[in-house]
Amino acid sequence: MSDTTQFRVLDFDCPSCASTVERALSNLEGVRHVEVHYTTGRVEVEYDDSVATPDELEQTIEIQGYTPQPA
Amino acid sequence: MNGHSITQYYRTHRKAIVTATSGLLYVGGWSLGHFLGLDTASAAVLVAAAVVGGYDIARTAYHEVTNRTLGIKTLVTLAAVGAIVIGEYWEAAAVVFLFSLGSYLEGRTMRKTRTALQELLEMTPDTATVRRDAKSEARSASEQPSGEGTEPRGEFVEVPARDVEEGELVLVKPGGKIPVDGTVVDGERGEGSETQRATGDPVSAVNQAPVTGESAPVPKADGDEVYAGTINREGALEIRTTGSGSDTTLERIIRRVEAAQEAQSPTESFIDRFARYYTPAIIALAVGAFAVTGNAILSLTLLVIGCPGALVIGPPVSIVSAIGNAARSGVLMKGGEHLERAGKIDLVAFDKTGTLTKGETTVADVEGFDVADDTVLELAASAETKSEHHLADAILEAARDRSTAATDGGVAVTRSDGVSADHPSVPEPDEFDVVAGKGVVAHVDGHEVVVGNSALLADRGIDIPSHVAEYVRDREERGETAVRVVRDGVVVGVIAVRDELRAAAPGVVAALRNAGIETVMLTGDNERAAAAVAGETGFTGLRERGGEAATQAVGIDGYRAGLLPEDKQTAIEAYQADGHVVAMVGDGINDAPSLATADVGIAMGAAGTDTAIETADMALMADDLERIPYAVKLSKATRWNVLENVGLAVVTVTVLLAGVLTSYVTLATGMLVHEASVLAVILNGMRLLRH
Repeated sequence: MSDTTQFRVLDFDCPSCASTVERALSNLEGVRHVEVHYTTGRVEVEYDDSVATPDELEQTIEIQGYTPQPA
Repeated sequence: MNGHSITQYYRTHRKAIVTATSGLLYVGGWSLGHFLGLDTASAAVLVAAAVVGGYDIARTAYHEVTNRTLGIKTLVTLAAVGAIVIGEYWEAAAVVFLFSLGSYLEGRTMRKTRTALQELLEMTPDTATVRRDAKSEARSASEQPSGEGTEPRGEFVEVPARDVEEGELVLVKPGGKIPVDGTVVDGERGEGSETQRATGDPVSAVNQAPVTGESAPVPKADGDEVYAGTINREGALEIRTTGSGSDTTLERIIRRVEAAQEAQSPTESFIDRFARYYTPAIIALAVGAFAVTGNAILSLTLLVIGCPGALVIGPPVSIVSAIGNAARSGVLMKGGEHLERAGKIDLVAFDKTGTLTKGETTVADVEGFDVADDTVLELAASAETKSEHHLADAILEAARDRSTAATDGGVAVTRSDGVSADHPSVPEPDEFDVVAGKGVVAHVDGHEVVVGNSALLADRGIDIPSHVAEYVRDREERGETAVRVVRDGVVVGVIAVRDELRAAAPGVVAALRNAGIETVMLTGDNERAAAAVAGETGFTGLRERGGEAATQAVGIDGYRAGLLPEDKQTAIEAYQADGHVVAMVGDGINDAPSLATADVGIAMGAAGTDTAIETADMALMADDLERIPYAVKLSKATRWNVLENVGLAVVTVTVLLAGVLTSYVTLATGMLVHEASVLAVILNGMRLLRH
């Protein structure tokens, strides 16, 4: 089933960094839709919860060098 | 400090530590070479500075590349590696350190913008004191609060605020923060209580600033709405929950504000489109420069400083800061687009009733002609029983007051009780018709009763005797609205209805005029009442612009009377045709057409009503007129701020490009200026948070 989750990333330090995170999340298997907003730091991910997990999403953001917080 | 807390400290401050270390190594390496002439040692330390500062950058660059995005970190990494390869260690260290410092500061300042709204949410307490027992848990949510001692006296328990359910009773102590949306239940009022408070007397006052931006506490009585996140000031409050968790007014407002911040303004989308061509152009330029000169550092410098950083970041930061500031002052801006348009407003049109006036109409006088005053009121009340017009409310209330005046001992009468049930003296009409904007026609006890304005009487061919007309003129010149009451084709009386001007109205009109903005009043009310209110408020009329349309539309008095909702819309179109950028201030429901037509529609008192927010471009959470000059000034400041940021970015990039191509600007100085310009636009934009 499809699920939507939100994170808050307060330490984006350039607009292109936000686009990279957006791209990385979209490339994950099971992810249907991603919105990453540089100015508000809001990350919204729609994903298939039988394929992807919130932890996986969180780790993907962390690997890029940013700190996701629950929103 | 033990090992664990050191790792913890390092983790939270990683960026600062890395940047500082890189900076120290950079200064050390430079000193070794410059003062001591130790070139090899200097080179080693400078490379170390580049590696320490560059590790995180390179790691993100790697992700940029693998995700096939072209980001600044890839360019910086390329530049630093290139510089080391050709032996320019100082340049490499400088570029890494400066970029690292710049992005550290960028992250820090942006965090402030990003958390500006979160501070509002932190106002909501995590726990709530709820009355719960077996009985009350089984209660249906729709059950009406009785407030008369029939309440089950359950135990008060502390629960997470999110778990409070609709219909549950929450207790908030004086000084406590309110955890849920709900209505006040006055347990002290009614039989058997010691205080015997009268209906409508406030139980407490609530500081609603987090939701509405109003600084003065608002008195709250039985049945009044309260919002989560606001602060109870005086007495203990019992609240019947209507919304909790994410389903509260504050949460909804914040979600809307955030959506508004994320929506692109026209300037932003223009820059995004521009960047789509600009970035490849810079890459082509860099490649071309390398092909011609064979100078790798030159092309890398071009890539790094050519990044449209300040240009892309500036406008969104201005707009996000402005929207955040507005939200904290109780003004909801629906997005950068509206904000940018609001910055060009030169004419503000006000609705009269409920906007400039309090919208609490009361009957000032009743005059019967050849019949008793009370009969006039009764007839009108009967005809208006089913009307939802605000004038009807005033007439019904007056009829109620008169009939209960003799026996009234504080009987609880609320509007939802229905008048006829309580007062058999006001019979229900057999037939009832609303004539929009004019009045009602009803059949009561076999008589045809017409209650309305002169237009309605004219439509129906009813003559107005001269003594009636005289009375009407007299009341209207005081700014009151005269409602004519006709029985079987004969005018039997007039009810004069008054609506107090808001105290802030004259000051607001003056403040707008001082800011160079013209004002007009549009009202459905009659000419004389409109003139009285316009005079009291200080509308002085439009300056001569030579435009036929607007001069005709508004005359010279700064108000237009007798307008139907669609006439208001036409009036606004006329101003627009005359070259004005028009804001319309009104309530979101009755004035919806003109709010939608205006360049910027501003809805009043929108906290509780989603429809008002839907139709408007800007919404004032409270009925606070003084927010209008503030919002207009903020919009103008934002428009300038965006222009400043775009200007600064364009000038910086142009100067840098010229500098690089003429070899005046090196990689390191280019990076310094580039990062400085990014920080400058962010800090400039953030000034709007404190406007």
